[in-house]
Amino acid sequence: MTEAATAPHDHGPVQARPTAVAVRGVSKTFGNGASAVTALDDVSFDVPQGSFLSVLGPSGCGKSTLMRLVAGLQPASTGTIEVAGGTPDEMRRAREFGIVFQQPVLFDWRTVEQNVGLPLQIMGRPKGEARERVEHMLELVGLSDFRKHRPWQLSGGMQQRVSIARALTFAPPFLLMDEPFGALDMMTRERMQTELLSIWASNPGTTVIFITHSISEAVLLSDRIVVMSARPGRVLKVIDVDLPRPRTDETRDSKEFVDVEAEIRQLIFSQEGR
Amino acid sequence: MSLAPGTKGRERLITAAVVVGVLALWYVAALLVQSGDDPLAASKLPYPHGVIEQIVDNRSVLAEAGWTTLKQALIGFAVGAVVGIFSSVVMAQAAWLEAGVIPFILAAQMIPMIALVPIAQNIFKNDDVTRIFIAAFITFFSVSIAVLRGLKSAPPPAYELMSSYNAGRAKTLRYLRLPAAVPMMFTGLRIAAPLSLVGSVLVDLSGAQSGLGYLMLAAITFGSEGAAVLWGAMIVLLALGFLMTQAVVLVERIVAPWQPDLRHGKA
Repeated sequence: MTEAATAPHDHGPVQARPTAVAVRGVSKTFGNGASAVTALDDVSFDVPQGSFLSVLGPSGCGKSTLMRLVAGLQPASTGTIEVAGGTPDEMRRAREFGIVFQQPVLFDWRTVEQNVGLPLQIMGRPKGEARERVEHMLELVGLSDFRKHRPWQLSGGMQQRVSIARALTFAPPFLLMDEPFGALDMMTRERMQTELLSIWASNPGTTVIFITHSISEAVLLSDRIVVMSARPGRVLKVIDVDLPRPRTDETRDSKEFVDVEAEIRQLIFSQEGR
Repeated sequence: MSLAPGTKGRERLITAAVVVGVLALWYVAALLVQSGDDPLAASKLPYPHGVIEQIVDNRSVLAEAGWTTLKQALIGFAVGAVVGIFSSVVMAQAAWLEAGVIPFILAAQMIPMIALVPIAQNIFKNDDVTRIFIAAFITFFSVSIAVLRGLKSAPPPAYELMSSYNAGRAKTLRYLRLPAAVPMMFTGLRIAAPLSLVGSVLVDLSGAQSGLGYLMLAAITFGSEGAAVLWGAMIVLLALGFLMTQAVVLVERIVAPWQPDLRHGKA
């Protein structure tokens, strides 16, 4: 485990990769005058190419806002965000982001396969190519038998798998996930975490930014964790997680895993005490 | 959803019970009026079987009048629905457009139809065109207000998704806003269906020379049989309104079976 923000490292796989997303001194204020609310205050961190980065913090720390800024859905108030050498808005227009929200946001009027194929249809990809791609994605998330089902006929975990398949169907270089497993029960949640890792492994090169308030979730999934405090959202620390991959359910029981988890918990609690 | 068949059977039972109850009430009321000493009142409220007899005897006249009224109501309904959907799509494009147009729509809705009919008659000088206009006018409001609301019913993350696909205004409308508006559109159509028929009858009643409403007016002057014909015409009108509404419900089940209150087989 290393401190990326204060002590740059010249070793290890994550640190050696080029930077895909650079967040520099970003603040975001909603409203103005006396009613202005600062959601993010002077946030800076780097996301290495092809890595899995989690933004970890309590509710109200502006982590969802941060994801929206990176995705080019909202502009930052001050500071800059550079995504693959361009602005977030340019990259959004270039369809570089696949997004998964806490709610699956599936369209009830479409079947599972039509939902997964929606981005391809909007982007005007040839039908045959799209069909193959949808087939492949459904296989990847284990829902091939449910392609003709409607979203509401599926369980919450299955719906979120459809949502992930839809986000990756057009092979975007960035996968942005805003507490995707937050609405799921604990057991489904843990299964989805390991499934996400295997899905990610079969889409090599995809850079993931994952928003969560679960410490263990962040530790299991991430190469790097941006730990944030609430109101206003500030970066407490950027922590690199060097646990070996592939990470599985056994990883949760390893000493290294428990140690990293404990350190982050202490970091957050010591901040709350101030 | 294992309750579904039972619920359906119970609904049918309740409907049947209501029909029997209304008929019973009618018989009681008719009996009271008939045994009273007011011959005028007695002639106005015949027994249900007398009315049914009149419907059977006058079936060709009632069918012709009913078709005249229904046909124009249907055309007006279709025209009003298309114009209503189109204008709500236009209004949904900009907040200022909606804010500017909605007050006029609400104000126009306050115009009493009984006042608008003679104006329309004098302008169009044609009973059929007037019926179509009034039916369309009424349908337009229900449908445009409902569709406008439906076009705004998608949750914010759905728009963010469309934005991340770089879908423009037209594609967001086609793939998100219009399909999301379908349930509200059918709600508007269901409300408008019987109202368009009432609008068409209103024109019949306001000096037209044909249709169910004309038949009702004429029946009042028929003498003792007349009241039964009048009631018969009203029952035909009721049946037509019911059929129109059911037709909309049927189309909705075929076009948009994915809605929460229509779905079955949830896992």
